[in-house]
Amino acid sequence: MKAAPLLQRLLLIALAAAFTLPLLWMLAVSLQGEGAGLTGGLTSFPRGLHPENYAEAVRQMDGFGRMLVNTVLITAACIAGQLLCCSLAGYAFACLRFRGRDGLFLVVLATMMLPPQVLAIPQFILWRQLGLVDTWAPLILPSVLGGAPFFIFLFRQSFLAIGPEVREAARLDGCGPWRTYFHVMLPLVKPVLGTVAVFTFLATWNDFWTPLIYVTSPDQQTLTLGLAAFNQAYRVAVELLMAGSSLVLAPCLLAYFLFQRFFLREMRTRGAKG
Amino acid sequence: MLACALALALQAAEPVVLRVMTHERWFAGYETLEEVARDFEAAHPGVRVEILSSAGGAGSRDKLKFTLAGNVPLDVAWLDVTEFSTFLADGALIDLQPYFDADAAWRPEDYFSEVLEGMRGPDGHLYGLPSTFNPLVMYVNRSLLDSEGIALPPDDWTWQDFERIARAVTRDEDHDGRPERYGASITQWLQALAPWIWQNGGRFLNERGEVALDEPEAVEAIAFLQRLLHEDRIASDDATFANQMSVGLFQSGRVAFHGPAGYWETYRFREIADFAWDYLPLPRGQAGAATVVAMRFYCVPRTSRHPELAYAFVRALAGPKMQTALAGVGNGVPGLISAARSDVFLQPGNGRREEVFFDVLPHARYLPTTVDWSEIQAQVGAVYDEALLMNRVSAAEASTRATRLANETLARRSDAAQRPRLPPALLGGAFLAAPIALLLAWILTLRRRRARGLDREERAAWAFLAPWAIGGALLLAGPILLLALLAFAEWSPVQLLSDARWMGAEQFARLARDATFHDSLRVTFWYAALAVPLQVIVALGLALLVAKPGRGTGTARTLLYLPTILSPVVLGAVWRWILDDGPWLRDPHWIVPSFVLMSLWTAGSQMLVFVAGLQFVDPALHEAARLDGAGRWRRFLHVTLPALTPVLLFNLVVGLIGAFQVFAQPFVMTQGGPGNESRFLVLYLYDQAFRYLRMGYASTLAWVLFVIVFLLTCLLLRSSRRWVHYAGAGR
Repeated sequence: MKAAPLLQRLLLIALAAAFTLPLLWMLAVSLQGEGAGLTGGLTSFPRGLHPENYAEAVRQMDGFGRMLVNTVLITAACIAGQLLCCSLAGYAFACLRFRGRDGLFLVVLATMMLPPQVLAIPQFILWRQLGLVDTWAPLILPSVLGGAPFFIFLFRQSFLAIGPEVREAARLDGCGPWRTYFHVMLPLVKPVLGTVAVFTFLATWNDFWTPLIYVTSPDQQTLTLGLAAFNQAYRVAVELLMAGSSLVLAPCLLAYFLFQRFFLREMRTRGAKG
Repeated sequence: MLACALALALQAAEPVVLRVMTHERWFAGYETLEEVARDFEAAHPGVRVEILSSAGGAGSRDKLKFTLAGNVPLDVAWLDVTEFSTFLADGALIDLQPYFDADAAWRPEDYFSEVLEGMRGPDGHLYGLPSTFNPLVMYVNRSLLDSEGIALPPDDWTWQDFERIARAVTRDEDHDGRPERYGASITQWLQALAPWIWQNGGRFLNERGEVALDEPEAVEAIAFLQRLLHEDRIASDDATFANQMSVGLFQSGRVAFHGPAGYWETYRFREIADFAWDYLPLPRGQAGAATVVAMRFYCVPRTSRHPELAYAFVRALAGPKMQTALAGVGNGVPGLISAARSDVFLQPGNGRREEVFFDVLPHARYLPTTVDWSEIQAQVGAVYDEALLMNRVSAAEASTRATRLANETLARRSDAAQRPRLPPALLGGAFLAAPIALLLAWILTLRRRRARGLDREERAAWAFLAPWAIGGALLLAGPILLLALLAFAEWSPVQLLSDARWMGAEQFARLARDATFHDSLRVTFWYAALAVPLQVIVALGLALLVAKPGRGTGTARTLLYLPTILSPVVLGAVWRWILDDGPWLRDPHWIVPSFVLMSLWTAGSQMLVFVAGLQFVDPALHEAARLDGAGRWRRFLHVTLPALTPVLLFNLVVGLIGAFQVFAQPFVMTQGGPGNESRFLVLYLYDQAFRYLRMGYASTLAWVLFVIVFLLTCLLLRSSRRWVHYAGAGR
């Protein structure tokens, strides 16, 4: 019985090491000299560190500050949109009775099943006909109107997991559907709100394809498009690419770390109540 | 002059904006590109040149296709010569010959004539001007030859010389069958294999226009390479991923020859300080010398609003200023003779002979430019892989099969042009019709329902669903309807939508005969069968480990999630390092399991969902079970697991959909190879849509994928009624 926590701890350390390896690798490559390639990695340290790669990466990305602001704005809008749109829809599918509910939910799932790579072309034509290519609308609007089926599904499952007793109690207290959703149910799925926020943050922050297709003007660029500067024809400036990627990744790590601390506190209070 | 006059006339009406998308925005030559644009504006008053951002690598190719599909105005684009034939056949480029003819200052002799040849259509008309070109040559490690006492071979060296030197240089000291030093590293993509076939007297097409790779001369060339690679083991293959990303055999001095390769390697090899190296023409075969030219060039797409000005800007881009700047980059040879012969390119005194790249031009050829050639090239390349990379079949067997597949593809193309067009109203109307139909259906149901009395809850439900429903109807329904139409049609994304041809159910009939599709089904199912259960088990295990509050679990949660947000390129590189460059990329049995194992690294998102789900486990139940004397395992099985089933179902469904859509990792690592062993379904439909420009068939494949995933999901949901427990719910 006593050995178990220790064993668990060792296992956790070993796993964490295995999962951290790619990040360490990336940092190592970002510090190596020119021309060593991706396989230089952890073995290239003896040949000297090159922290100046980071300054060079920012310089070559040409407008890093503006790209950062653009990415922050787009990401914030998407998070707000996804949280609202998906929790509403998820709640309706989980907790409200209406005809055609199960069929409609299958439609939600079905929209996930068409590969985005080919659906993107008809979607591009639609945005073009709406005259909104080279604006941020195609990057943001789908999150606000529509939302990701993935998250609708996650909210539905989470609301279902809470069980009907809470809602029943709220109803007896005289709460309508809106108040029940907003004041009673939503606070109970805070961990899921956090999860969806993190997922959306990372997906939007790191998205390359959508901005690549829709954004053309130099002053509308996002960070991932800036990173493409290092991926040139026939050749990849690997050390600069990794230095730039590390810079782009840093806010993600920070956001994630802060969010998961928030889950932790959430759980402690619940545990204390129980 | 006419162009100038016209431009001035236009200027009076509205300011003219010339939209230019070239990859050189990201080159070291970016400043020069800006300069050329400003010079052009000064020479053409009233014209503004807008240099648009594309992106590097595959990104810029995709972006150009979207731009054309959406009919977005674009005046000058940058195209790879391998895509020229497809773009030309689909009418995506403007014929520049009339502009050249009218241009008194145009002197074709300023450019390498063999290079201009690559940009001519079947009618001999010129469609663009070169950025840089790359005739394939052989890189040679001179120091290595010196140390072995071998003289540098002369420029007219032969296959026999090549084999003799390679054999003399190869070292396998520990006799494990994997030499520490090879004679040659041979590049394997089809364009690089072509010179060997030509040098031996083989050919791609015969007089009747059929693929003739089964003729003995072509078969012998493949057999020669197969022998060097696998029987004599004096040559190593050079996988794409390794070539792009790694130091490689040549840079580490472990190989005497590297090629056939273009001038693009020079950029990396310039950094080599440990040994001297040089260029050699490719060795001659029994039919003499031959090489192939890779090239990127500037062209004017059909969506240009100002073709005359666009032509003038193409001339400026291919002019002395830009060409001289590109000469110094080390990525390709400038097409302008004066820039190529300048000291910027030749760099006298560097100990190498850059002139080799001009000397081989008289023997340069191009791959055929028939419609569907990119698909044929991929099919042939995949079959050759089986002989050259995997050594699974003989050269003769591979050649016979490649020829049969290629000729089937050739035969299919001929009738597409005779098909009826799809009515444009139908295609354009799809975007309007879908939302309107949905809206009508919704209003009708509500009205019918209202007659019977709609209760408060149902009204609220529709309000809750409104953002999703509006977005779905406006932004998703139209594109999905269009995708459904396209599944019965054929359309190239570089064409106008109104050029789509009706194919009927034929596209679905084609599925039965498509060997690549069958391979991709097999690979995808095998991957899903392994990945879906393993990912869920690993994610659940990780979640249980890190869900408990305690010192360090927060950090652990962050670390375990890390690989999920890293680029697939990084994951791929680390993965290769872990496996020590072993045979996994070539061994057909290990490819899919390798991708499954790699996917476990990114189980972090599923873990996070489980962690969130664990918060819904009622601690009181756990306490009660503990008081009843239930052990850890029983409490997990009877308390934790049932409470987790709602999120377990979520992870299974999302994992299933994700497994059938796996794309990024194989896309950056193997591109579907070797053979078709990692040609996952979405990778194949991406190839059809973006490389072969067959959007219709890609849509057909997309719907097949949809039906498969939909049916499997329905099965899963149906079964879930028996094993998913929603708290307090009766069912």
